[in-house]
Amino acid sequence: QVSVLYFARSAELAGLRCETLSVPRQITSRQLWEEIVKVHPRLAVIQDQVVFAVRQEYVLLGDHLLVLQPGDEVAIIPPISGG
Amino acid sequence: MDESKDVPKDFIKLKSEKLSVDEVSELVISPCCGAVSLFIGTTRNNFEGKKVICLEYEAYTSMAEIEIKKICRDIRQKWLSVKHIAVHHRLGVVPVTEASVIIAVSSPHRAESLEAVTYCISTLKASVPIWKKEIYEDEYSWKENKECFWTNSEK
Repeated sequence: QVSVLYFARSAELAGLRCETLSVPRQITSRQLWEEIVKVHPRLAVIQDQVVFAVRQEYVLLGDHLLVLQPGDEVAIIPPISGG
Repeated sequence: MDESKDVPKDFIKLKSEKLSVDEVSELVISPCCGAVSLFIGTTRNNFEGKKVICLEYEAYTSMAEIEIKKICRDIRQKWLSVKHIAVHHRLGVVPVTEASVIIAVSSPHRAESLEAVTYCISTLKASVPIWKKEIYEDEYSWKENKECFWTNSEK
């Protein structure tokens, strides 16, 4: 079980900022995205623009294999606009 | 000021209260430094012909602080003489003309702090998980920095 955090446009599309999700311990970032879109289909529109942050490190959506621990924080990161 | 404790420091703060240029520049002042360089990012009142009422910022706070800390570390590797670095970023609503970000860097001579400030704001815009919403009269828009390191330029 991981904590999924939603920010900015992704929080608007998902309708929430935070939830726990059960996912396999080993999963590619692309598969993790697909699991999340199953729960929140409206997120599909930003698919090409987002990256993840897993344990506060950026991960691109792709074949990168993630090894997740219970309680890990996974954040959906839309294109940033700080400063 | 206790001169024996004048070790290089990073001052990073994300807060919803109004930012203070005086406060941020005072943080980096150091007896051994002859230069303090500053950048202030303020809310502009227009975008593509639309009137901007205000900006609204949100952040992945824990990661934003980590990413800003990395930028500070990079600055010290590139400009060895940099002394103190302060980055204050406002969250929540920022009305027009008010500051959303203030960056201050001190160094013995001016070249390093001027260059470090430029590097800091550019890298912040490329890598720190902070988002702004531009609020117009009848709609709003989530902004996307062109520096954002994962978005395609041909979008």
